[in-house]
Amino acid sequence: MPEDAALLDDRPGWGIASEWRAPAAAAAGAALIVWIAPLVLGAFAANVLTRSMLYATLAVTVDLLWGFTGILTFGQAAFFGVGAYATAMTMTSIGSTPAWMAAALALAIVVPMVLGLVVGWLSFYPGSTPLYASVISLVFPIVVTQLVYSGGLLTGSSSGLVGYDTLPLELEGFFRLSGIVMIAVTLAAWVFVRSDAGKLLVAVRDNDVRCAYLGISTKRIQIILMVALAGVAGFTGFIFAHASGVVAPENTGFLFGTQLVIWVALGGRGSLIGSVCAAVAIDYLSASLSGDLPFLWQLVLGAAFVIIIIFLPDGIAGLARTASLAISGSLRQTRVSRVTVAVPRTAADRRATLLKVSGLARSFGSLSVLENINLEIRPGELVSIVGPNGAGKTTLIRCLSDGSEPFKGVVEIAGQSIRGLTPDSVVALGVGRKFQVASIFESLTVAECLRLARTTSETPSGIGSAPILSLPVASVEILRLTGLIDLTGSPAGLLSHGMKQALELAMVLALEPRLILLDEPTAGLTNTERATIGAVLRHLTEEAGYAIILVEHDLDFVREISSRIVVLHQGRLVLDGAVDDVVNSEMVRTIYSGGGHV
Amino acid sequence: MLLLLDILTTAAILFVVSVGLLAIFGVLKIINFAHGAWLTIGAYCAVVAVKMGLNPWAGLPIAFVVGALLGGIAELLIIRPLYRRPLDAILATWGLGIVIGQLITLEFGRDVQLIPNLMSGTIRVLSVDYSVYRLFVLLAALVIGALFALTIEGTRLGLAARAVIMNETLARSLGIDTDRVRLVIFMIGAGLAALAGVLLTPLTSVDPNMGVAWLIGAFMLVMVADTSYLALAAACIVFGGVQVLVSTFVSPVLGGISIAVLAALVLRINSRGFSRA
Amino acid sequence: MSEGPTASLLSLHEISSGYGAVSIVKSVTLSVQPGEIVAVLGKNGMGKSTLLKTILGLIPLRSGAIQLGGVDQAYLTPARMIAWGLSYVPQEQTLFQDLTIRDNLRLAVRSDGELGAALDHAFSYFPFFKDRLRQKAGTLSGGEQKMLILARALMLRPRLLLIDEISEGLQPSVVNRIVGVLRDERSRDGTAMLVVEQNLDFALRAADRWAVLKMGEIDDEGPCGLEAHERVLEHLSL
Repeated sequence: MPEDAALLDDRPGWGIASEWRAPAAAAAGAALIVWIAPLVLGAFAANVLTRSMLYATLAVTVDLLWGFTGILTFGQAAFFGVGAYATAMTMTSIGSTPAWMAAALALAIVVPMVLGLVVGWLSFYPGSTPLYASVISLVFPIVVTQLVYSGGLLTGSSSGLVGYDTLPLELEGFFRLSGIVMIAVTLAAWVFVRSDAGKLLVAVRDNDVRCAYLGISTKRIQIILMVALAGVAGFTGFIFAHASGVVAPENTGFLFGTQLVIWVALGGRGSLIGSVCAAVAIDYLSASLSGDLPFLWQLVLGAAFVIIIIFLPDGIAGLARTASLAISGSLRQTRVSRVTVAVPRTAADRRATLLKVSGLARSFGSLSVLENINLEIRPGELVSIVGPNGAGKTTLIRCLSDGSEPFKGVVEIAGQSIRGLTPDSVVALGVGRKFQVASIFESLTVAECLRLARTTSETPSGIGSAPILSLPVASVEILRLTGLIDLTGSPAGLLSHGMKQALELAMVLALEPRLILLDEPTAGLTNTERATIGAVLRHLTEEAGYAIILVEHDLDFVREISSRIVVLHQGRLVLDGAVDDVVNSEMVRTIYSGGGHV
Repeated sequence: MLLLLDILTTAAILFVVSVGLLAIFGVLKIINFAHGAWLTIGAYCAVVAVKMGLNPWAGLPIAFVVGALLGGIAELLIIRPLYRRPLDAILATWGLGIVIGQLITLEFGRDVQLIPNLMSGTIRVLSVDYSVYRLFVLLAALVIGALFALTIEGTRLGLAARAVIMNETLARSLGIDTDRVRLVIFMIGAGLAALAGVLLTPLTSVDPNMGVAWLIGAFMLVMVADTSYLALAAACIVFGGVQVLVSTFVSPVLGGISIAVLAALVLRINSRGFSRA
Repeated sequence: MSEGPTASLLSLHEISSGYGAVSIVKSVTLSVQPGEIVAVLGKNGMGKSTLLKTILGLIPLRSGAIQLGGVDQAYLTPARMIAWGLSYVPQEQTLFQDLTIRDNLRLAVRSDGELGAALDHAFSYFPFFKDRLRQKAGTLSGGEQKMLILARALMLRPRLLLIDEISEGLQPSVVNRIVGVLRDERSRDGTAMLVVEQNLDFALRAADRWAVLKMGEIDDEGPCGLEAHERVLEHLSL
């Protein structure tokens, strides 16, 4: 295998710089407008827009959480409110010297982050559901609001805090500060979501199971994101407390949290710019209406919200995106210019037992699915597990890859028990698992999917996208054989079924696992595709020394590629032997023709 | 004694307010965030009934029917397209709640509506004087609970609803029209919410946003109860009890959030809440 | 594709279906005549269950046409198919384990008024359910559960019965009994059946005609007879 494995695009320097040119220019333009605007605007408009821009900053954080990561949250309002109250309470109760001012700033950021950690810990744990996270994000602002109400003089209770000293900026100054903060946060978010690390957010949203089986701890990512954005919201609250000169319980509340979500939905979740525009426009218009109009306006907003949620889940920005796509007709181009071969990790000892299963049993209630399974697998073996439906094959695979399954008995990978380990920790021991139905990241490109599979070996950049993608030989081999190597820029969701299977296999191989678990990798594939995958699997075990466990219904396929066959029947391991012995055994014939008892 | 009565009647109010939400969540697996708006609709049905010169009690059947009919429309137009997107369904029903709140504001104004009490006065229970109406709500909760239980356990509709809860694919493969079951259950749930709105009128001020205050409590109780009405009753008694005790001995403000906090913690420990017990 | 003047009871014309992007059943053409029992054999994962679910309307039809009694079924739902006279014996998701036997049977009839007659028909094959109606379905043994789902399908007196691997995991005596029941029902009511199986012995004893499904397509077909066993076993064994 030559070093420059696959040259896709040799245009030099077609990387980070050009990508940032447009948004940087846009941000500079926006900053210029923000700088000039207060000279033109009236006091009322400037006042309202100062607030609107801070709200828009919050909307960006909601968009990152909900639009990109799939966490529907009402809690950003509370982090914002805590930041604002931390500031106002410091000014009111302690003092407003520059030192205390700095302390207030620190508090306004740190306190929400600590709370964010608590909320994150409550919301994201193994087995938590998205709905539960939303429930917590709903309870949190309610609790904060009630605490503010019961805070007496300290929090000003229902009338809030007012009349404290603020930063010595005039209306103009606050307008500019808010505008710059909004632009900076939006630009930072824009850059981050396009970076390699930013793709993790979308990956967590699309398919958290696949993430876990790529060795990525999704819960940790969610908690880190929540803590970071709680800090941003608190900082926004700090500026708000100074700019408005008043903080009120409504600033912390769940209703405000729902408003943020509505703005993001209308603007377009996952669009950033759309959310910003919607927040500024709607908040400004809402403040400018009077008489009966506010109710009518809320009515129209509510109705628009319902309609958008049902018919245009991507909001106005999504509509614009579709339209521009229809006009220009081009999708995102690949930003990966080369795929190279990564330096392999140290080779494992071929003779040592890689997987040792003894006395494994798993039952669901009174139903026993696996009983007393004993199995040993060494590097270089390709062991197929066959057996009729309901024999327990998929359950066995799950027990080998997820130590949090409540199984009995012992499963050891290279001498280490996996009991209690979550899938991402089992992956770290060198186990890769391919699912029966191709499990990939539908909204990412092929290259992005593959890069995510390398997250544990190469920390992805948070500000840009690396132009070179290095993968292990086996992955590159799969990409070549299937032609995927020419499709690195295509969205994975648009691939054919067979290509998705191949992509997932390449992703699993990119982990450089010592033991690969494959659950029906060829289901629904054409004969040519099966043959291709079969050849790769043989090569992996015989020459590269991987161990593979294959669950497969197609016995012709099994016969061709296996080095050993294990027969499961009604939860028991009834046969374990060389291919010919098993294939010609009377027992297998009985099981397959009559479904009789053994 | 007073404390005990407070706990029982508080639990009863909570049960009445949340049972409609439970019915919908159980069968449709959708959280109806417009539930608060349906409470409001019910209360305004009572307002309209009084304005038309009817007996205040006439509000109960009117609210049930109006709530169920509007619920049917909402199910067809808003819920049905969002079955596979439960988080979006929360948002869409929340938006629907905003729309309903604003429509009511435009028609009736933002002010608090005054309507004659359904019942007034106190009655001596053992050693204390207690509000007759709160005791009546206790009775109403028992009646609603019993009727609900009879419907679920005794009728074909209830059987079909339980079948959909337990295994929707199997129910469908037996020829049960699951779409119809969902529609009917949504209508019943919405009707019950509106009915609860009427029952709330003597206990809370009637204004266009009155429902929101009750929504979160009901929502948390239903989360904890999962799909079981018995678990809901248990949750109402336990959490209602804690709320009364905290309000009485610690602070009313903390009492107000005790349900939400406790429920969140219970769910963190056991995601199926009370339904397993 | 009706042949001759009398239309087939069920006729599938080049039907395809599947999940997501995957086609499991590919261009299957097959017909069942009134009173005929047809067995579809195949190994695991070849699309047998999907075929039945598509006919029932549980899985949307991708392409092709399904006719019942010569009439095209444009909009398939299980409720409509069952109202027409189809009955289905599923392989997975078979019973409501926490409901009583009676409630399980009750869910299959359209109104409680029909329940009495339906139960009588079911008892004529499986009298032992008569005294156990209040028992939870989940407490029945595996074989009894299979008989219950068969009873549930038969009691509607269907014109066409779809059966998904009913013999799986059953003892030979129970399998024999089920063959008897199916044969009896056919001679009583002239019920047609489409039986999906891996168990060759059972399928060939129960059916008149067989077809082998491989990778979602009909690979081979023929009448059930002495030479059928060897020929089908070729397709099913390793």
